[in-house]
Amino acid sequence: MTDADVHALSGAYVLDALTDLERAAFKRHLAGCATCAIEVAELQETAARLADGAWSVPPPALRDKVFAEVSRTRQDAPVAAKPVRPPRSRRLLTVAAAVILAAAAATGTFAVQERRLDDQRTTAAAESARVTEVLAAPDAILRTATSASGVRLTVVTSAARDEAVLTMAAERAAGTDRTYQLWMLDGSTAINAGVLPVGTTSATRLVSGAASADAFAVTIEPSTGSPVPTLPPVGQVSVA
Amino acid sequence: MREQSHGDPPRDHLSAVPAPVDDRSAADRLLVAVGRGDEAAFRELYELVAARVYGLARQVLRDPAQAEEVAQEVLVEVWRTAARFEPAKGSATAWVFTIAHRRAVDRVRSEQAASDRVQKTASWSAQTPYDEVSGEVEERLERQQVRRCLDDLTSLQRESITLAYYGGRSYREVAQLLDVSLPTIKTRMRDGLIRLRDCLGVEVPT
Repeated sequence: MTDADVHALSGAYVLDALTDLERAAFKRHLAGCATCAIEVAELQETAARLADGAWSVPPPALRDKVFAEVSRTRQDAPVAAKPVRPPRSRRLLTVAAAVILAAAAATGTFAVQERRLDDQRTTAAAESARVTEVLAAPDAILRTATSASGVRLTVVTSAARDEAVLTMAAERAAGTDRTYQLWMLDGSTAINAGVLPVGTTSATRLVSGAASADAFAVTIEPSTGSPVPTLPPVGQVSVA
Repeated sequence: MREQSHGDPPRDHLSAVPAPVDDRSAADRLLVAVGRGDEAAFRELYELVAARVYGLARQVLRDPAQAEEVAQEVLVEVWRTAARFEPAKGSATAWVFTIAHRRAVDRVRSEQAASDRVQKTASWSAQTPYDEVSGEVEERLERQQVRRCLDDLTSLQRESITLAYYGGRSYREVAQLLDVSLPTIKTRMRDGLIRLRDCLGVEVPT
């Protein structure tokens, strides 16, 4: 199974419609894919809402049986409180780093261009770790919006870390010689949060100094990006 | 203390995220208390979720006696493992119903594996055709947001999700029943859920 194939299984996964083998393969994929983890959490929450449609009065005896069993059942300790977080093995970190490295390499002409490969690797690994930390922060909040123009923007902010992780996915490319650019809006100031390479429709960015941000936005700009947004946003998430 | 100096503890942020269902915050609070060993909180939580846990098991298993067994297992598991619930990662109701669905489906699958799979599946499907599953579910979804949102899906998205979730079918079985290719079914399940998520306005603090 290719990676794209595995990724597409997220729907069947949350519906418990996979075989044990496929389920295991998907979980392995999930461990190295922060974006997928968010998607799965959202779809899991969505699927669980379907239980609202299965309401049925339980036999009265169920209550007594459950309460009786509960009163003699010892609770598990919360030690295993983080079973969903994968062990940070070398392999997983490498996978995550490779993903971020690919993104960084693609995204950019910005800072990375003149750095040595080793520097890039170190930066990528560090950034990957920081993305994971923001996603796992106790005060992390996820907000998401899909615009009429088909741009889905997901923002995870952590006020305590003063950081945010932005993920955008567009239905189509921005157009010839045009590209998507991400912005952090702070009052009336728009701060560049990354220019996507022409033709790219998705990206994940870590943004520092995000605690004071009011919103995050995506605009379509000329291929090299703009110092300030030149057109109204095609996607926006308010975090104020 | 940190909270005092900043005046903005993480909880304030979490409560700012809109609750997708009315009982969400109540259930969250109760499940956290259950995690600390509070039996009274467990009793309250039971009243909130038991009808859906039992109803879901019954829908998937099509057998009241087995549904009762599975519901009991699930509710005791909720008590036993409640300390693992992290409200920052999702709602208590989602946590409970995820366990419930998984256990009900496990039971269906192990039954299928125990007997001749093909024969069992054939007789099971003759017994509960899609229309029946769909009819019963529709009745219960009446006047609910979930119903309105399911209506917004394409019929293939809706049937794939309904057969898997309420019927406990694997995506291979769903593909066979609807006579559609495997890649199409898994795509419809995913994009159908994504559409449902957007319609329901589901948000997850990670």
